[in-house]
Amino acid sequence: MNIFIYEFKMYVKSVLAWSISIMALLTMFMAFYPTFGSDVAIMDKILENYPKELLKIMGMNTGMSLSSVLGYFVFVFVFIQLCIAIQASNYGFSFLSVEERELTADFLMSKPVSRSKILVSKFLAALLALTITNAVLWITSFTTIAIFSEGKDYNINNLILLLLTIGVFQLFFMSIGMIISVSVKKIRSVLSFSMALSFGLYILNALRNIFGGELLGILTPFYHFEPGYILEKGQYNLPLVFISIGIIIISIVATYILYLKRNIHTL
Amino acid sequence: MNIIKRELRANMKSLIIWSSIIVVFVVMMMYEFSAYYNNPEMSAVLDSMPKALLDAFSMGSANLTTVSGYLSIAAVYFSLMLGIFAVLLGSSIISKEERDKTVEFFLALPISRQRILVSKLIAAIINCIIINIVTVLAILITTIRYEKIANFNKFFALLMLGIFIIQMIFLSIGMFLAAIMKRYKKSGTYSISILLALYFFSIFVSLSEKMEFFKYITPFKFFEAQNILNQGKLDGTYLLISLGIIVFAMIGTFVFYPKRDLHI
Amino acid sequence: MNVIQINNLTKYYGKSRGIKDVSFEVKEGEIFGFIGPNGSGKSTTIRTLLSLIFPTSGSATIFGKDCIEHGPEIRREIGYLPSEVFYYDKMKVIDLLKYSASFFKKDCTKRMNELAEIMELDLKRRIEDLSYGNKKKVGIVQGLLHQPKLIMLDEPTSGLDPLMQKKFFNIISEENKKGATVFFSSHILAEVQELCSRVAIIKDGSIMKVEEIKSLRENNYKKITVRGEGITENKFNIDGITEKKMENDELRFFYNGNINNITKAISSETVKDVLIEEPSLEEIFMHYYN
Repeated sequence: MNIFIYEFKMYVKSVLAWSISIMALLTMFMAFYPTFGSDVAIMDKILENYPKELLKIMGMNTGMSLSSVLGYFVFVFVFIQLCIAIQASNYGFSFLSVEERELTADFLMSKPVSRSKILVSKFLAALLALTITNAVLWITSFTTIAIFSEGKDYNINNLILLLLTIGVFQLFFMSIGMIISVSVKKIRSVLSFSMALSFGLYILNALRNIFGGELLGILTPFYHFEPGYILEKGQYNLPLVFISIGIIIISIVATYILYLKRNIHTL
Repeated sequence: MNIIKRELRANMKSLIIWSSIIVVFVVMMMYEFSAYYNNPEMSAVLDSMPKALLDAFSMGSANLTTVSGYLSIAAVYFSLMLGIFAVLLGSSIISKEERDKTVEFFLALPISRQRILVSKLIAAIINCIIINIVTVLAILITTIRYEKIANFNKFFALLMLGIFIIQMIFLSIGMFLAAIMKRYKKSGTYSISILLALYFFSIFVSLSEKMEFFKYITPFKFFEAQNILNQGKLDGTYLLISLGIIVFAMIGTFVFYPKRDLHI
Repeated sequence: MNVIQINNLTKYYGKSRGIKDVSFEVKEGEIFGFIGPNGSGKSTTIRTLLSLIFPTSGSATIFGKDCIEHGPEIRREIGYLPSEVFYYDKMKVIDLLKYSASFFKKDCTKRMNELAEIMELDLKRRIEDLSYGNKKKVGIVQGLLHQPKLIMLDEPTSGLDPLMQKKFFNIISEENKKGATVFFSSHILAEVQELCSRVAIIKDGSIMKVEEIKSLRENNYKKITVRGEGITENKFNIDGITEKKMENDELRFFYNGNINNITKAISSETVKDVLIEEPSLEEIFMHYYN
């Protein structure tokens, strides 16, 4: 319990910063909706006449117009997912490697507490931190839509379906961060790893979105939980979701096994 | 000279990993391209669309069925990856001495901090050049069997040059923040935040006319592929702004790092 | 009872040898010294006992329980004072001590404050602002506040001023008198010599000797100094003499053997002064490493 409390205290500032940033970002994006929406409506008329393949190329493969509330939200939400991915990756890569980076291993590991308990406490603390950000995102989403949608109708069920994916999405990045951090000998710069992971998977899907095909998307949760698919179809792409969940489970189990056996070194 | 060699060796692992990631991306991308290459249906459709519409999606002159068109669309993502690489490199190459606790050894040697900065800067630039070349080679090799438009080489060279300049911008920002910030641990975070913000600004630009002026702040809009294709050169204004940012950041680095208290 | 029992403990880091077939015991209530040159495997042994790292083969028990299997349980009664002390950024001393105390089921507040006062530790300061020596003090208080039955010290006094060193050793002696066993790894042989009853010497990953300090000094060679003018060095080419040095009017050497051979040689000369001493632990130590 004590480890959990102290680990969580370390997250407070970070959670605050991320929550505020995401709130600001989402609000800024949504604030453009009223003006952007009307511009797009004109374009929609023209687009109606174009073949599906072309629309796909232009990133409009959702069949949802950017002028609709959720259509625009789709466009915005990908960037929010990027921020979430970075935050979760940061936490994942850092909380198991911190003792070896800050050289505090001699302190914590020589206490009468098992590796297992240490791992679980740290994991839960990180999870709580991410959950708080998750909650902030839910609230901000509904609030900004309410403010900026100008009373337009939208399918609230689909929105909820999408917001429900945030937790799993965060878990994906956090658990990949965890497993990599206990597999390598030493992590010197958490940022390099977490940037490569989050941006890498983001770009993979961005490219996939433009160029089509499945190959680019298989391993990236940005595809498994693509806002366009969920908000348009009102359901999850189950096979892909299972891939994500599978990766999460394997990573967490492997982390548990490896961390318990890890030789902890100083300097 | 010895410092440059040491830095190159120390960064080699990271360089190899990032380069491999880029190569994988290029390969995966080009795999998809085969479906588009010279696809006559696609060309017909694109030709019939009004230019304004294509412009709105930054696809103005980008014909997806050609190699250059295809690259144009992906270009921004390459700038993103190479930019992140540069900003992290810039930030860490300065703060690593404090992070790895080598300060008392390294900075007590009979060399000025300025000289250390110069050597590190050179090593960092070399790293950026190498990863840039890797990208170029990867793209050239994977597209070798495709025919390209007339000025492809010029376009591609300018495109990669533009990306290189973006790298230099972020490299200097990374170094600058690491040089002036007292808490070395935070410099990386701030550098990345700035890059992220600039990326989002570049998105905002296309959302509304009111955001037009952001074009001048975010490097991701400086050397857009579409503009290069249209104008056949790198825009002079943006070149000046880039130079300005780089010079300002580098001067700042060289002035403040020698004055800063190093954290032991 | 043996508080620590190590049997053929071996640890390889990949191909390089950490420790090989290390075996010895530490009895309850003793102050046991552990000495060896840099890189000899001292830290490896200690870290294995604390299950920070895992052995390649062999075993170790503390309080009769296996170190790895019963790690957390055993560590309830172990106080570990590492040589390098690092703590979490931005923590105040008092926060760290409270955090440390929260791992033990007993109430450590009283003892914690007592120790902090003896060591003159300012509880309100941030750890990162402290000097190395003061950080060391935090380490000491943190390692002892739960009144452990086994105290493991790794270079405990480096960084402390002489006054603090004395206070520290007083604390250790007191704990020992109350029944705590002390395992003391150090380079400062004078300290080991003063505090410890038995000592293990480790070199190149293997134990060279485990012996009582008293017998180590007695059964070894004697350090002999003969001073006088015109001493004939040749008279002292006796079997058993080593490290012979002649400087000005002083002849110094180590001797192991029948002391009568020496007294005969000395009496055949006209000497001003003769010194026959037992070697210090330091000299024995150096002797073993030549």
